[in-house]
Amino acid sequence: MASVTAPATKASTNKESYYTAGQAQLIWSRFKRNRAAMISAILLLFFVIVGIFAPFISPYAPTIAGKDPDYLNGAPQILRFWDENGFSIVPFTYTVERTRSAATNLRWVETINKEERRYLRFFVKGWDYYLIDFFIDLPGRNYDVRWRALKMDRHLFGMDKGFIHFFGTDKDGKDLFSRTVHAVGISLAIGTVGVILSFVLALIIGGIAGYFGGWIDGVIQIITDAVRVVPTIPLYMAIAAFLPDDWSAEARFFFISIVLGLLGWPTLARRIRTHLLAERTQDYVLAAKLAGASPRRIISRHLLPSFTSYIIVDLVITFPYTVLAETSLSFIGLGLKDPVNSIGVLLKNATNVDVMLNYQWQFIPVPIFIILVLAFVFVGDGLRDAADPYAQGKK
Amino acid sequence: MAVITLFLVSFIVFGLMELVPGNCAERYVAYKNTQGRASISEADIRAEEIRMGLDKPFVVRWFNWTKDVFTKGYLGESCLRRTSVNQILQDKFWISLGLTLAALLVSYLIAIPVGMFSSTIRNSATDTTFRFISYLGLALPNFMVALGIMLFSTLYFGDTLTGLFSNEFRDAPWSTAKLLNFLSRAWMPALILGWSSTALQLQTVRALMSDENDKLYVTAAKARGLSGAKLFWRYPARQALGPVINSIGFDLNRIFNALPIVATILTLNEAGFILLESLAISNDQEVAGAIIFLLTVSIVFLNFITDVLLGIIDPRIRKGMI
Repeated sequence: MASVTAPATKASTNKESYYTAGQAQLIWSRFKRNRAAMISAILLLFFVIVGIFAPFISPYAPTIAGKDPDYLNGAPQILRFWDENGFSIVPFTYTVERTRSAATNLRWVETINKEERRYLRFFVKGWDYYLIDFFIDLPGRNYDVRWRALKMDRHLFGMDKGFIHFFGTDKDGKDLFSRTVHAVGISLAIGTVGVILSFVLALIIGGIAGYFGGWIDGVIQIITDAVRVVPTIPLYMAIAAFLPDDWSAEARFFFISIVLGLLGWPTLARRIRTHLLAERTQDYVLAAKLAGASPRRIISRHLLPSFTSYIIVDLVITFPYTVLAETSLSFIGLGLKDPVNSIGVLLKNATNVDVMLNYQWQFIPVPIFIILVLAFVFVGDGLRDAADPYAQGKK
Repeated sequence: MAVITLFLVSFIVFGLMELVPGNCAERYVAYKNTQGRASISEADIRAEEIRMGLDKPFVVRWFNWTKDVFTKGYLGESCLRRTSVNQILQDKFWISLGLTLAALLVSYLIAIPVGMFSSTIRNSATDTTFRFISYLGLALPNFMVALGIMLFSTLYFGDTLTGLFSNEFRDAPWSTAKLLNFLSRAWMPALILGWSSTALQLQTVRALMSDENDKLYVTAAKARGLSGAKLFWRYPARQALGPVINSIGFDLNRIFNALPIVATILTLNEAGFILLESLAISNDQEVAGAIIFLLTVSIVFLNFITDVLLGIIDPRIRKGMI
């Protein structure tokens, strides 16, 4: 008897946990089943962590301060465990010496000295950095906010002497690995600021249009349409064109992300409006109105939660487009400029004939960028599938 | 509606161009200065401004510009090149529009079938592969694809495939041969642009189809015994295509965004390239403004057509229910 009831109780607890689960739990349980999305989510998490801890992970400063003067345009270095001189448990690379003399026609010549080994070390001391570095840098000194904490000088890895360059170096001898790691962080930060800004704008504008409807909606729709039909990249370009050249890199960074945010709202605003228009005639809104709730309260407490999942999905979907916009802007030369490390800047540096023919390792940021964008798109799709309330019947 | 949008757009564009620092009078005087005139005074610039009509208030100039555009089709004069913008652009804008439309077609030809197919076999290996390939277009930077194809065609065909025409056709008037020559080269930018803009449409189609597929009316139709292609096309597909048609104008916009970069790499001498050049390099506000405006006019026009089309297809829209 007991053996017969056991599976039944199990099924009923399953059912019960299904019915009592919150929206987030349901979405998560469905999301977990989607393998492509899960892999992408893990990759994405990895990128975010890399971006946040960029100074810790990168062995050298990504600026000119961290350059390796003896290794310009240097090829990636590979760690070895053994060579003809014997085996070592601690991985090592060789020392590169750069010399110039009459014998070499006064040109710099790099030679690898196999006798001089450099050994890999973990948690080495290197350049100083702040683990938490939050800044708002607007043009004009008075508005700058910089909040830093946790000064550190330990880095994940380094060499006992000299440098190691996993991704090689660029023409100034800057470590490409460090630059790439920082670029991931900066590009993600720009995307985040841009997406949050456009999200807030979309919420306000779409919320007002959808809730009030009527002529307010009409006017807002005309404006939204006008902003939406103006092609974005030329608009970015026009706005970026009057960024003064003397602005600091950080100020440019903020300006670009604000521009991306200011122009990104129409699509989301329209979606929010459509949802609200459909929802506002529902009985629960009427009930809230009769109970004396203010419009703000009805929008934020009753209407918006009814499609939070859609909004999140939309945000994840728009994210890669914001990152892409930054990339193409920087590529044209109107976005971020060289001392800053964004993916767009790295891609721009890689796109010249000299690099293509001689220093192919400078393309390493490209596949990383591709993986980042793909991960975002797949996570967006996975979230959308998971948030779809009608999909449960199938499984 | 469309006319109001156009007016607003012309205002935004004109305002943007106004925001760019420096005006034509300053440039002209500065240019004259390099030609041997001794010094520039504030008065010189003011005099030049009055001669060019730049002293009038912003609204008046905007109104004049808009009036010229709508009544005479005259787009103003380029400050830098001292000729009318119409002269500079000639047929180049039409070439760009043609390229963009071709790219739009390519991206729909990929997005709609793949999106529909993908929604019916959600999350299987085939679905993931198909989506992976289409999203790769988004993730691969346009200029990389363009450079890659260029390199490939140089190595294997011995021709870089850059430019819009071969040398012998560059300055020739339009003819069938020139058109064929154009088409033999235009497929590449169209393909690159189309592929790169597929992702968003694909996501939209897939999302809409998934939504519709799971809805109760589809279940009801299944219960009535409908199945296969008939069920698919009569119910979910028809519903899902509405928003896609609705977004044609904005998709055109997105594709045009990518055009300048591809045009630069492939050295296509068309409006996207001129736009980039006038914004990023020569700061030629009038030309840039005119191109952006022409593009928005095309988008508004397309939106108008799709609205009418949607009204014909979907009776609910005609009655203003959505």
